[in-house]
Amino acid sequence: VWAGPSPPAALDLQGWQTSVDCARANELCAAEPGCSSSYRTLRQCLAGRDHNTMLGNRECRAALEVLQGSALYGCRCKRKMKKELLCLQIYWSIHLGLAGGEEFYEASPYEPITSPLSDVFRLASIVSGTDPVANSRSNHCLDAAKACNLNDNCKRLRSAYISTCNKGVSATEHCSRRKCHKALRHFFDRVPSEYTHRLLFCSCKSQACAERRRQAIVPYCSYEEKEKPNCLALRSQCRAEPLCRSRLADFHTNCQAFHQFLTSCSRDNYQACLGSYTGLIGLDMTPNYVDASFSSLVVSPWCSCRGSGNMEEECEKFLKDFTENPCLRNAIQAFGNGTGLTFS
Amino acid sequence: NRMKRAKTRHKPCSLKELEVTISELGLGYDSDETVLFRYCSGTCDSAVRNYDISLKNVRSMRKIRKEKVRARPCCRPLSYDDDVSFLDAGNRYYTVNEVSAKECGCV
Repeated sequence: VWAGPSPPAALDLQGWQTSVDCARANELCAAEPGCSSSYRTLRQCLAGRDHNTMLGNRECRAALEVLQGSALYGCRCKRKMKKELLCLQIYWSIHLGLAGGEEFYEASPYEPITSPLSDVFRLASIVSGTDPVANSRSNHCLDAAKACNLNDNCKRLRSAYISTCNKGVSATEHCSRRKCHKALRHFFDRVPSEYTHRLLFCSCKSQACAERRRQAIVPYCSYEEKEKPNCLALRSQCRAEPLCRSRLADFHTNCQAFHQFLTSCSRDNYQACLGSYTGLIGLDMTPNYVDASFSSLVVSPWCSCRGSGNMEEECEKFLKDFTENPCLRNAIQAFGNGTGLTFS
Repeated sequence: NRMKRAKTRHKPCSLKELEVTISELGLGYDSDETVLFRYCSGTCDSAVRNYDISLKNVRSMRKIRKEKVRARPCCRPLSYDDDVSFLDAGNRYYTVNEVSAKECGCV
C-alpha cells in the first residue's frame, strides 16, 4: 500500500471495490520522488524492448518492484472518464512490465460493471412489449432509429457519424475511415446505451430489418476493406494501440463464454458484454454482423484465419469468440427480446 | 364581434413540432425513418413596426399598385436545426440540411 499524505477522497466514498484510477495514481506517484523516478526508469526500460530483455536488467527490475508498492499497482480506468486514453497508457506501461503482454486473454484495465440487470433491459422490455399482431409487422431497428431521431443528442451525433462516414474524399478513397471511426467512437461514448444498444441489437423478423441493423455503423466505410487481414495480424495491430488493446481485453473479460453459467457469460452479466462489444466499434477491431440474415446471428471483426500457418488453431479460437460465442449471442438475443435474463 | 375575434386569435409566433417520416417531407427521399419536424407557427401582431403601418397606408392610397408587397411581419425560422441523416429504402444513407427550424421570429 502506498503511504501518501492522504488517501484520495473517492476511495472513502465508494468503498473497497473502487481502485484508484491510473491517471490519479500517476499524479500521486509524481508527487513522490522515489516513485516518479522508478516510473521514469520503467518507461525507458519498456521502450523498444521485449519483456524478458527488460527483466534481465537489474535497474528495470528494481524500478518495477518499487512500483508494485505504489498506487500505480492495481490502478484501473473508468469507461468514458475524462483522461481515458492517458489512464490506459499508464495502465499498460505498468502491466506490460509485469506480464509481458502476449497472453491470449488479457485482464481488462476497466473497473468491473457490477449490476447485472440494468435499466436498459427494463426499458427494452417496455418498448418491445407490444401486441403480437403489430409485432409481426413491426421493425424494431426502424423503431430504434425513430427513438434516436426524437432525441436531440442522439440525432445530432448519429447524423454526425453518418455524414462523416458517407462523405467521399477523392476518386480513389471513398471515405475517410479514420474520421469515420472517430465519429463512431464519439457517438458510442456520448450517447446513452438505451439508444445505442437499441440501434445495434434490435431483434429482427425480416431481412429489411436485419439489413438496417447491419448498416447501423455504416459498414462500407467503418468495417469492410478491400483485403481481409489475418485475425492474429489484426489483433497485433489492435494491441499496439492502448485504446484498442484495452477494449479488446474488456471484451474478452466480459463476453467470455462459460458453460457452467446459466447465461453462458462469465459474470452472468449481459449488459457488461454488450457494452464491451460496443466499445470495440470505431477501432481496428470493429465488429459487425456478417450478413443481413435475420434468423442466424453472426458477428465478426473484418478478418479471416487464412494465412495463419502454424497458428491456425489460435486464430480460430480468437475468431470464434466473436462468431460462435454463446455469451455474446445470448446477450444480443436477450436484449432484442427485451427479456434481459431468461433461464429456460 | 371584436370580442369574438380576440378569443379566436392565434398564439404568437413560436416553434412547434411534429413527428413525420422522411418520405412525408416531400424532398424526394423514400424512407420510413421518423424525424422530428419543427416549424414556426403563430401571429406577429406585436411585432408590427411603423414600417408596416406606413406601407399599408401608402398602398391603400394606391401609390403602390403593381408591386407585390407585404405589410405584415412574418413568422419564420431565424435558424435551422442540425443536419439530419437517415437510411433510405434502398439502404443508402443521405444527409439533408435546413429541414427543421430551430428558432422562430417575426421578420
